[in-house]
Order: sequence, then structure tokens, then C-alpha cells
Amino acid sequence: MARYTPPEQSRFMQWVDIIFVVAAIFLALWLPLQAGWAGVSRSIVKIENPTWEALGQTPAQVEQWVKLGFADAAAAHDIIQNKFDYTIDWVQLIILAVVIAGYFIFLFRASDKEYREVIAEKFNDKNKKK
Amino acid sequence: MWIMIANAGWILAAALFLWMLYDWFRVDTTYSEATLTSSREGEIEAYQETHKV
Amino acid sequence: MSNATASAADTVKKISLLRILGPGHVWALGVGIVLVGEYTGWNFAADKGGTLAALIICWVIGLLYTSVAMIDSEVTSTVAAAGGQYAQAKHIVGPLMAFNVALYLVFAYTMLEVSNAILIADTVKAYAGEGFTDWHYKGIIAIVIVGLAALNYRGVLMTLNVNFVITAIAYLAIIVLFFSVQPWSQGTILKLNEMVTPENALPYGWIGVIAAFHWGIWFYLGIEGTTQAAEEVRSPARSLPYGTMAGMITLLIGASITWYICASLMPWQYLGFTYYPLLDAGKLTGSALLENMMFAATILAALASANGCINDAARAWFSLGRDRYLPQWFSAVHPVYRTPYRSIIFLVPIALAFAFIANLGQAITFSILSGVLHYTFMSVNIMMFRNKWPLGTIQRGYTHPFHPLPAIVLLALCVVTYFAIFLGYGAQLTAMVVFYVIMSLWFHFYRYRYVKRGDQFTMPWPKPRGY
Repeated sequence: MARYTPPEQSRFMQWVDIIFVVAAIFLALWLPLQAGWAGVSRSIVKIENPTWEALGQTPAQVEQWVKLGFADAAAAHDIIQNKFDYTIDWVQLIILAVVIAGYFIFLFRASDKEYREVIAEKFNDKNKKK
Repeated sequence: MWIMIANAGWILAAALFLWMLYDWFRVDTTYSEATLTSSREGEIEAYQETHKV
Repeated sequence: MSNATASAADTVKKISLLRILGPGHVWALGVGIVLVGEYTGWNFAADKGGTLAALIICWVIGLLYTSVAMIDSEVTSTVAAAGGQYAQAKHIVGPLMAFNVALYLVFAYTMLEVSNAILIADTVKAYAGEGFTDWHYKGIIAIVIVGLAALNYRGVLMTLNVNFVITAIAYLAIIVLFFSVQPWSQGTILKLNEMVTPENALPYGWIGVIAAFHWGIWFYLGIEGTTQAAEEVRSPARSLPYGTMAGMITLLIGASITWYICASLMPWQYLGFTYYPLLDAGKLTGSALLENMMFAATILAALASANGCINDAARAWFSLGRDRYLPQWFSAVHPVYRTPYRSIIFLVPIALAFAFIANLGQAITFSILSGVLHYTFMSVNIMMFRNKWPLGTIQRGYTHPFHPLPAIVLLALCVVTYFAIFLGYGAQLTAMVVFYVIMSLWFHFYRYRYVKRGDQFTMPWPKPRGY
């Protein structure tokens, strides 16, 4: 197999590549923020006029809350009542599973294709020289 | 105290960053690009290269 | 630096990274990066599933990472090159995989570095009092990131010596805290059975335990970073497995102690809410000395972690440049300090920008996601490694036992962790994978044309079986 000689990349195009990578990284962070995807599926289950008992805290626990600077139950209410919602959105789960599986399948197949070229060049070259 | 440290932090960060930029510039103008990017993966390979005829 | 004239001789002389580190440095690099996870982050597992869930995942995820450490030790003691798992992927799976792995590494470590800088600034802010404005907050972030980058720029030995010292102090602080709360007599200070009751141990049931896997990763995330030092370690085949395993043992003990102290002192809702579980534990003992010690230790742990992250992210980025996966310009080594100096500088503004715009939870989630993608790769990687070069065909520095059990355990736990992240952070996970898909397409169909094919394979191995 003929040895592959890559084209020389100009300084300018090198910078274009760098900028592309950096832009992609920033987009990956920004987009979920902007589109509001970064949010967590949880909400505060409100209890009117909360008492420590209503929040399910034992006296020993209350003692620690007070030491941590939460003087009364109302102050700790938002922390205690902030509950996760673990109902599974099957459509989203399936989308996610397909995306991850598709990603890894593409990754391994494309890698394998490139890998065969590498091995062919590396080892056949050597044999020729010998 | 922390306010003082934070202000000093800005100054020190700027100074260190400028030093790195200066040193970077100095190195890049002193040595050739071929030398700077002469590192190759693995000692073993470097050993093989020296034995190439 | 007066030898500017010697350009002809220059082309002959090669500059490489300096081989100078021992197993202690490997330990410091691994544990240094990870230890901050005990000071913040792991406790969000209690948020997702309760205090008992945090303990369960501390050990189950410990199993995941023991698999990671074993697998990693075998492959890396054989493929000893900067870039760690990147170089492994390149030799075992293929170039595109390697490119992705390097991105996971850079992303995981840079985001972890960002989290650490934010954590330090938050901690200082909580104690600074009046007049500490956003300007000052950012000043702390700036000095942390730039200061550590400068340290890394100056040389790897000093960087990891510093890491060794501050990691050891931060770890000792946990031990000291443990013994000062009289762990042998429950009820005096620690009240485990009052904080964790049968009613609140698993508030969301078993689904909460699964969900907690997500943050459980934070107990140990980054231990696999030890391999980045492969080109700078004096005898990688011995030091890397040794340092990594010792690090894993250190962390398992530290994580269990941390859980025991915190779970015995805080109601689970608070534990899942606070950013500084160990610092709060120090506060709850009522001793100002312990509180101050934990304050200092929190900052030291975060510094050690950020320091190691800069080291690792720069090595990964450097390796990408060296193989022309990214412009070769990045692969420059500093002729005096012998560090990948351009990569170090390049990552500074990126880390700063993220630290100024992102919040802690988001940065950590990005880091965790990249980590889990990475571990998924590792489990497949080791199986391919054993298939392409069965035992006996090449010299291995270390051979891990029970193959393929660790790989299967690792893969299974990764799948569970994806599901755990999905519970609560599904959209972000999908967006993240889409990012990697786009980068992969870019690499495969465009960037790869600049890569020299055969040169990527640098190990003196025989042809892999089946090719």
C-alpha cells in the first residue's frame, strides 16, 4: 500500500481549526444553558407554615439544623422540600439510548476503518524495507 | 484580609500571565519550530530512529 | 538562552518531556485530582438518593474504579506515553476513538479545574464577609487558574512535589477530623442513628440509589489521570500500577471515613445541599480549630486537584498536536522547563472563561459525563487489547487478574451511570453526546487528512491479531 502523505496545512487554516474546536466547546456549554436544558427535573413541594415536625425532622436533626444556621423550619423549608422527580420519560430515554448507542457504533466502526489503514501502512512498509 | 488577597490575586495573576507570554515569545523566537516540536511518542521509538540507516 | 545560532544543530537535537517522576508523584497526581471530591460533590449523591444511597454507591462506584485502575494499569504499563488513554486508544482501537478519548480527557480535566477554582472562590466568599464583591470573587478564580498554570509551565517535578505536599495535608485533615469526633463512641458527637433513620435512609427508594450513581463518580473521578504522566515517570511499568493502586486504596479509605463523619453529623437534606460537607462537619464539632483546619484543607484539596488537572489536560492536548490531530503547533516542548508550554497557556483562557460563566453544578456534570464516556471506552478497550495481543505476545508491565470480569463490571456500571445521569440531567447528557458526535464527524471527514497514517503507531509491537 502506498504511503499516505498528508497535505501541508497553512498557518491560517491551523488557526481556523483551533477556532472551530474552541467554538464547539463553548457551544456545548452554552447551548444547554440558553435552551434551558441544563435544568434539573426537581421542584419544591410547598408546605404552608412549616414546622420541624411537618418537615419530618427529629429533635436531634433539628439541633444540627440550628447549629448550621437555620433558626426555624421556614428557613430550611426550601432545602428539605426540594424533591427530585424520578418518573421516567420513556421517549427521552429511548432517544438518549439511541444517541449513545449510535455514537459508540459509529465511533468503533470508523475507528476500525482508520485503524486498518494505519496497520497496513505501518507493517507493510516495514516488510518492504526488509 | 480576603479582599486584600483577592486584589493581590488579580495583580499576581496578571503578572504571571504576562511572564508566561513573555517567556513563550522568547522561546519561540530563540529556537526553531522544528526543535520545539521534535518530541516523539515513546522513548522506544526515539531509540529506533537513531538506528535507522 | 544565547544559543540562537545553533539552528543546524537544533534539528538533530530532540527535546522531549523530562523523565523524572517516581511512584510518589504518580500517587500525588491521582489522589490530588480526586481528593477534592470528598470535600465537595460526593454529597450530592445524598441529594439524589439519601444518605444510605451515598454509602452504597461509595462502595459500588469504588468497585467501578478498582476495575478502572486495574485495567488502566495493565494497558498503560504497556503503552507508556503522554496522553495516557489517548495513546492507548490510538494503538488499540483506532484514530477516531483516540481523538474522542483525548477530548474526554481535556473536557473532564478542564471542567474539573474550573469546578475547583469556583469551589475555592465560593469557600473564600463564604468566609470573607462584607465588601467581598464579584470583582474579588473573580480575582480568586484568576489567581488560582493562572498561578497553577504558571507552576505547571515551570516544570513537572516542582508541580507534582507541591501536589504531593498539599494532597497529603488535605488527606491528613480528614484523618484528624475523624479521630477528633471520637468515632469509637457514637452518641457523643456523632449521631448516626439519629441522622439516618429507617424512614429517611432511602427517601426515594431504590431508584434513588440508582440515581445517586451520578454523583458517586465524584468520589473517585480523575484517578485514571495518573497515566498522563507516563512519559515523565522514570519507570512507568512499575510506578504507574503502583501509584494508581496505592491511590485507589487511599481514596477508598478516605471516602468511607468521609461518609461516616458527614452522615453522622448532618440531616440528609442538608448533606445533599451543602457545597462543603467536610467543612460543615468541622463547623458542627463546635471547635474553631477544626473548622479552620477544614477550611484550609478544602482550599488545599481544590488547589491540588486543579493543579493536577492542568497537568493532565495539557498533556492530552499536547499529544493531540503531536499526532497532528490538532495543529502540530501545540506539540512544542519548552526547551528549558521541558513542559508542553503552548498547550498549558492555550488552556488558561478557556478555563478562565468557563470559570467566569458556568456554575459549579454544571461544570461538575460536564466533567462527570466526559468521565463516564471515557470509562465506557476503557472497558471495550481492554477486551480488544487482549484479543489483538493475547498474553505472551508482547511484554506487559502488569497483568490484571480475573479478565474479563473487571471489564464487564465496568461496562455494566457505566450503563447504570448513564441511566443515573438521565434521571435529572437527561437533556444535558443528550446535548453532550451530540457535541461529541459533531466533533467525531469533523475529525473523520475533515481533520484526519492531515494525519500521517503509519506514524501514529509508535509501539514496537508485532502486528495485531486479525489484521
